[in-house]
Amino acid sequence: MAVYGGRLKGGEAAGGEWWPLWLRQRYVAPVVTGFALLAIWQIYVIAFLPSFVARPTGIILAIPATISHSEFWWAALESFGSIVEGVALGTVAGILVGVAMGRIREVDWFLSTYIRALYALPLIALVPIVILWVGYQPEARLVIVTLSTFLPVAVTTADGTRAIPHEYLDVGKIFGARFHNVWFGIALPTALPHIVTGIELGFARGITNAIAVEVLASIPGMGMSVFEKSAQLNEDESFVYVVFLAIFAVTIRSLMIRARHWLAPWYSG
Amino acid sequence: MTARRTDSFGRQVRQFRIAHASGIRIACYVSSIVLLLVAWQAFGNSFGVLFVPFTTTMVRLWGMIQDGSLPSALAVSGTLYGVTLGISIVVGVSVGLMLARMKLFAASFEPYVYILYATPTISLVPFVSVVFGFYFWPRVIVAVIISIFPILLGTMEGARSIPRQHLDVAASFGSTEGQLWRDVIIPYVTPFAMSGIKQSIALAMAGTLVAEFFLNPTGVAALLLQGTTIVDSGHVLAITVFVAALAVALVGIGELIERRLVRWRYTAVG
Repeated sequence: MAVYGGRLKGGEAAGGEWWPLWLRQRYVAPVVTGFALLAIWQIYVIAFLPSFVARPTGIILAIPATISHSEFWWAALESFGSIVEGVALGTVAGILVGVAMGRIREVDWFLSTYIRALYALPLIALVPIVILWVGYQPEARLVIVTLSTFLPVAVTTADGTRAIPHEYLDVGKIFGARFHNVWFGIALPTALPHIVTGIELGFARGITNAIAVEVLASIPGMGMSVFEKSAQLNEDESFVYVVFLAIFAVTIRSLMIRARHWLAPWYSG
Repeated sequence: MTARRTDSFGRQVRQFRIAHASGIRIACYVSSIVLLLVAWQAFGNSFGVLFVPFTTTMVRLWGMIQDGSLPSALAVSGTLYGVTLGISIVVGVSVGLMLARMKLFAASFEPYVYILYATPTISLVPFVSVVFGFYFWPRVIVAVIISIFPILLGTMEGARSIPRQHLDVAASFGSTEGQLWRDVIIPYVTPFAMSGIKQSIALAMAGTLVAEFFLNPTGVAALLLQGTTIVDSGHVLAITVFVAALAVALVGIGELIERRLVRWRYTAVG
């Protein structure tokens, strides 16, 4: 691992001599730290906090009971289904608007005030007004997730399709490309890595905002369950939901990184 | 580019777009804003209680400023925001530097930093409230977890990418640890930290709102929820528009600070 502290003194990492060799194995340090963190958590809860507070052993023991309940899988289906649907809708809309903004200056000038203002705004601030307009319905969650994805995808697609190398366009022109060939044949593939970054951002914001809508509007789902179980003092069970939300988020993130490598292998970033 | 042939319509349009670019630009900006305001005003009354015209929204906003409810909510939220951003900067920069500079620390904690980063912080709110309660400092914890990562990861990336030559030159001139930090590390890392801070200025706002919504509502979030419960769309719309304007202003300030602090980057040689 590139740590300049080592290079500074020249030769072998001077800062790393004192710690034992077995700790330098690649996976040892994180695993040891992980267990240490869990142990501290466990001991701290037992020593200083009321017995209902979630602790690692309690959470592990609560996993089988929680995930064998159909209620858990319904919540997962509701939330994750709605998030995936919203991200898909937002991505399509974002790509269409983004390409138009990137390729036609006038569209960019016309829309950018609103797209950039909404992009700057934490979307959680829109949750109350959306709940008011859509109602205390699952559709409110869908609207927020769609918006959460639409904005970053539109912005990254616009940035990506605006900055096309001139040679690409010249070659297209020589071969008689029509505008839709340029838009979807040249601009869009060039902007793919940007678009994937936008979708990744959309997922991250979408998950958070979906939970926010669920809790504020009492819509059944993972986020709602986390808060509900906690309010019933089923803290361990509540944390099982948190763990699965985190697993979902981490899985999506690594899928996105993989998608970027697969779709645009020439970008090594 | 002079057109010798009879100009086709498409060509005329193209030439007009090029010749009058700045005029068209202003026209686009102005017309988009005017169009929104006109539509907002025109359709303001057509959705029953769910929507109100632009003028009503502004009147409601002014009313909330005058009766002191918005200023006092802003003072509460602003305090939380300021403390959150301050702690995020101090802790983010120092932990970022530690992760870049201390091998064992990085090897041990980096995976957990990424796990915490990926976890939707909002789902940790019930846990935080059970352990720490639901007043000021628990809110700060939640808001900091949401806003710290761009600074922390930006600083870490920056400190890890310092070119070896810089360090070698400093070492060969016999610089002490203190001099090394002052002359090489801090100037090199500043732009990276600043672009993180720019992002965190926006994220701290999201963090503040999340903390206020879900840990015993206070400040602006409480004011928003108050309007939702009694289905007062004018009230909610007025605050939402105000918060949006505030967000745009804060992002603008962040960009300004970044440009000012990082100016040397564009002027310095090599």
